[in-house]
Amino acid sequence: MIVFIARRLVISFFVLLAATFIIFVLTALSGDPLEDLRQDASPNKAQKIADRVERMQLDDPIPVRYLSWLGDIVRGDLGVNRDGHSVAIMLGEALSATLQLVIAATVMAIIIGVIIGIVSALRQYSGFDYTVTFAAFICFSLPIFWVAVMLKQYMAIEFNNWLKDPVIPAPVIGALALLSGLVFGALTVGDRRRRLVSFAVGLAVGGGLFTLLSVTRWFADPGFGLPLVLAVSLTAAVGFTVLAAGLRQRGPLYAALAAAVLGAAASEVFGPLLADPTWLEIAGLALLTVAVCAGLGYALGGLQRRQAITAAVLTGLFTGGVIFVDRMLQAFNSYSAAVRGRPISTIGARTPNFQGDFWQMNLDSAGHLLLPTMALILVSLATYTRYSRASMLEVMNQDYVRTARAKGLPERTVVVKHAFRNGLIPITTLMAVDFAGVIGGAVVTENVFGWQGMGNLFIDGLNTVDPMPVMAFFIVTGTAIVVFNMIADILYAYLDPRIRLS
Amino acid sequence: MTTSPNVPAGPYEDGAHELSSHVTDSAEEVHVGLTLDAVRPPSSEEILKVEDLTVEFPTEDGVVRAVRGVSYSLREREVLGIVGESGSGKSVSSLAVMGLLPKSARIRGRILFRGDDMLKMSPRKQRSLRGRKIAMVFQDPMTALNPVYTIGDQLAEAVLAHELMPRKTALARAKEMLDLVGIPQAEARLRSYPHEFSGGMRQRAMIAMAVINNPDIIIADEPTTALDVTVQAQILEKLLEVKDAVNAAIVLITHDLGVIAGMAHRVLVMYAGRPVELGETDPVFEEPRMPYTAGLLGSIPSLEGGGASRLRPIKGTPPSLINLPSGCPFSPRCPLATEVCRTEEPPLAETDSGAHYAACHHWDRLAAAEDPTEFFRTESETVA
Amino acid sequence: MTINTQATEPGTPSDAQQGLAVVARTQGQMVRRRFFRHRAALAGMVTFGLVIILAFSSIGFAGIPGWWDKSYLDTGSLVNQGRPTLSVVPEFLGGDGVRLGEHPFGQDDIGIDYFALTMRGAQQSLIIAFLVAIVGTVVGTLVGSAAGYFRGKVEAVLMRFTDVMITIPVLIIAAVVGRMMGDSGAAALGVFIGLVIWPTLGRLVRGEFLSLREKEFVEAARAIGTPAKRIIFRHILPNTIGVIIVAATLSVANAVLLESALSFLGLGVQPPDTSLGQLISEYRSAMVTRPWLFWWPGLFIILIALSINFIGDGLRDAFDPRQTRVRA
Repeated sequence: MIVFIARRLVISFFVLLAATFIIFVLTALSGDPLEDLRQDASPNKAQKIADRVERMQLDDPIPVRYLSWLGDIVRGDLGVNRDGHSVAIMLGEALSATLQLVIAATVMAIIIGVIIGIVSALRQYSGFDYTVTFAAFICFSLPIFWVAVMLKQYMAIEFNNWLKDPVIPAPVIGALALLSGLVFGALTVGDRRRRLVSFAVGLAVGGGLFTLLSVTRWFADPGFGLPLVLAVSLTAAVGFTVLAAGLRQRGPLYAALAAAVLGAAASEVFGPLLADPTWLEIAGLALLTVAVCAGLGYALGGLQRRQAITAAVLTGLFTGGVIFVDRMLQAFNSYSAAVRGRPISTIGARTPNFQGDFWQMNLDSAGHLLLPTMALILVSLATYTRYSRASMLEVMNQDYVRTARAKGLPERTVVVKHAFRNGLIPITTLMAVDFAGVIGGAVVTENVFGWQGMGNLFIDGLNTVDPMPVMAFFIVTGTAIVVFNMIADILYAYLDPRIRLS
Repeated sequence: MTTSPNVPAGPYEDGAHELSSHVTDSAEEVHVGLTLDAVRPPSSEEILKVEDLTVEFPTEDGVVRAVRGVSYSLREREVLGIVGESGSGKSVSSLAVMGLLPKSARIRGRILFRGDDMLKMSPRKQRSLRGRKIAMVFQDPMTALNPVYTIGDQLAEAVLAHELMPRKTALARAKEMLDLVGIPQAEARLRSYPHEFSGGMRQRAMIAMAVINNPDIIIADEPTTALDVTVQAQILEKLLEVKDAVNAAIVLITHDLGVIAGMAHRVLVMYAGRPVELGETDPVFEEPRMPYTAGLLGSIPSLEGGGASRLRPIKGTPPSLINLPSGCPFSPRCPLATEVCRTEEPPLAETDSGAHYAACHHWDRLAAAEDPTEFFRTESETVA
Repeated sequence: MTINTQATEPGTPSDAQQGLAVVARTQGQMVRRRFFRHRAALAGMVTFGLVIILAFSSIGFAGIPGWWDKSYLDTGSLVNQGRPTLSVVPEFLGGDGVRLGEHPFGQDDIGIDYFALTMRGAQQSLIIAFLVAIVGTVVGTLVGSAAGYFRGKVEAVLMRFTDVMITIPVLIIAAVVGRMMGDSGAAALGVFIGLVIWPTLGRLVRGEFLSLREKEFVEAARAIGTPAKRIIFRHILPNTIGVIIVAATLSVANAVLLESALSFLGLGVQPPDTSLGQLISEYRSAMVTRPWLFWWPGLFIILIALSINFIGDGLRDAFDPRQTRVRA
């Protein structure tokens, strides 16, 4: 296994090396790097040209220039652009912004896409399935840049305007309620009456929820508060228990419920710590949560100890997530005031010169990430949805799923244990391919939202026929792709013992 | 099985064909160490009764009528063989008993397990029978085991699905079962993955999984089709042995007449979703009362007669289940068919001997014939 | 011992007389039948056909004049601030009646008829997309089949090269090529982008070849001494044709989106010529004041990409009989 990964790494390294050569040569050949200077009317035109020729080694043949770039890279020097600015400094600012965007989009796409895909497969030929399939086709066909411009207009500008007086108009509440009714109805299998009942329930829940949000002007000062956090966590506890163990035995359920209650209580206990934590402290709390919940599962699980631990840990982490979101929402009001009531940003990766506590800074990041991620995620989301749906459908038709049913296992176990894990295997292969696509999409998205990111570095470099920034972009993204491939390989091997043990 | 009618018939010295050579006279038992006579005889109590079972699948091309009115019963400890070509409905009818048909299937009739209609049970009740009282061994052991979990895990899971106990206890039971089906080093093998097993080993593991809850009925759907000839005999022997160990009855589905001849007390022959002949194994194979059964017997290459004995294949192909011919579904291929066969579908009715049923208008003509396969003589044979 | 009831000579005339003959359908007939049953694919095909006809017949192409009387080059005076005159709401529903009007899609800021401009953009985008797909498919198929059939060194070299190309995100390499070829017109741009996007398809074809070359019918062909070229083109390739056609179709949709993204970034078709992506890029700031300049080209991109995606889906269903649908 380790040999397998090491070999893949070595191969990837050489592949990446060859790719840099291709990119370097093509970029150098893509135009005239002196174009702007040739039309320059200033008296020191000849001097400027000579400077640039010197700096870019334009008198040397391209392979020589490549080798000298390679030599510099080995020494950790990314070179200077054609105007003499250090590429490393330019990269430093761009790197974190872009990686944040790309990773956020990929993780979201995988989680949401796989869930939707699986539900869609389990509800094959339902209204939900057809809607998801159609929506996926739309997503495949949307130009990212077009969506990005639309989001900027309608989601940011108009949403910010609306936030000034967050009352949801009655027709919108009606539409949202109808939508929630349709989702409920489409997800129900069974005869017409059952679906109508589900539709009515969805309609009532949606209508009630949004009316409540509107009347209480929740969006003006959002937040959950302890009772709601507790309610959501307890619901999640039941849900995770059903998924992981079923409700036949009480052990796992008690463990998960205890995890939820303990988590909600901890949010009060750790109040002072949570007022302005660091990421390190958050990570520590997450580890603590896992440890405590595993203990709960072990102690209360009874005969279903393994499942109880799974349910309790998932519940604990989920509760932690809810508390995290709640804290961020509580910071919303002060943050919103600080950015003059326009929390959803359309430009850049962060508000310039904005300083706030941990939650406000996170909110700032989130506000800036929201729209670009939404634009970027569409294609990947559709891909993961379609792929996991197809994969799940195929797996559900496999003989071993029939065997699992023949043993008398409940449908939940058949799906969660036997089908899900096998269905994930082909998706790991997709991850590697899709990630490269996301990077391409990020270049476009950054352009629309005016991020000073990697994409910007690339486009500017390309437009000025300057290989140095382009190469810096490629070294980083290429490495990211290789690393992501590696993660996908490891995941593959983890999921499939046939790979792991050979 | 690997022997095909195209192979010129001749004496085989090869031990691998021992099984085949012994069943040429189809009424003889399969040469396995354990024979049917050695196992405990069936009691008279019926544990499973299938009544007028009908299964249809709606597809885009029309309704596939996979099973049309199958009835049979199974007594305690009995081995019932179901024979037929692919598409005859033999597998579908057993999957219906297991409750494993896809949701789109339309099922009618009654499936009584110890008197309770399984089709009317709640899903929960049905599930509690599945794997506990009625277990199944599937055709292809290569695909029937989940590749990502260990054998031990998959066996233990079958126990834990019906009985709450510590995992350790379930694993101990799994080990016991692996021992029972003859897998060496069972303890270590529990931690193996299916891909580390050979085909025969996997099928043994499948059998272990089927009997781990001491079921009353084991449904074996072509359990040896995907295996090497040498392994087939071992697996069948093991199946009989295990059946006796847990006191179960077997529904053995196969297209291999030799297997049925050696292993089944009674046999049900199916064609195009219909039961066409039912009776004790020996009478059915020695004096078939349905031309299709006779045709099947004529399709088996005989090894004893040397080059002299000829194959007498049934011409044509089974009918489409979407567009069944009128009358007897076998009539287009039947050498005995007359006008009445093309218009009227014969019911499964009693023939000359007591418990021997056949669905044929002309069973008396078969009864009168000296060699029931003679109707399937090929033209070349006639010329010669 | 196995029951083998298949007659030694199935399908002889006597069988047919007995009513046993199965209605034989060729592979092509089955594929067509399944495709035409796929309603979304059919709708996609009709839509796509209409878009092509509209784009090429309206303003004419390659010197042949079309039926639309305005050019995408002529400026003019702005009528009603360049608002679209297209109306689709009939009068009895309180609308202005169904009519095209003077400028159905409106006018841009210097008075150019936006319908003509959009049609020109659609033409360019379609040409590029088709060239990309054709070149990419041909090269990908050739490389993939050579690698899949010959194995050994040929495969190693070709596949390592494919690995290298796959490491580079499509948009990145296409952008570099676009920067290089943008000035040389749509055709050159299409061909050159095609030359860099083939690896995905090459891999796909290789995978198909690898599995097919082990199949008995190929072994049989080899055993009787069939030359490699003939095995590739007569025995294996026809069996991969479904996969190739589906991939080629979907690559047209991807190419439309790729081209428009490049043009949006200023790395595709260069002004004064135009494409759908270029139009959106040019008028992106008009989103608030004159949204139609933004909507129309976007609508056409989506229309083209969506209809091709549906066609591709229909083809996939048609070529892959495993997915026969069962109605619940």
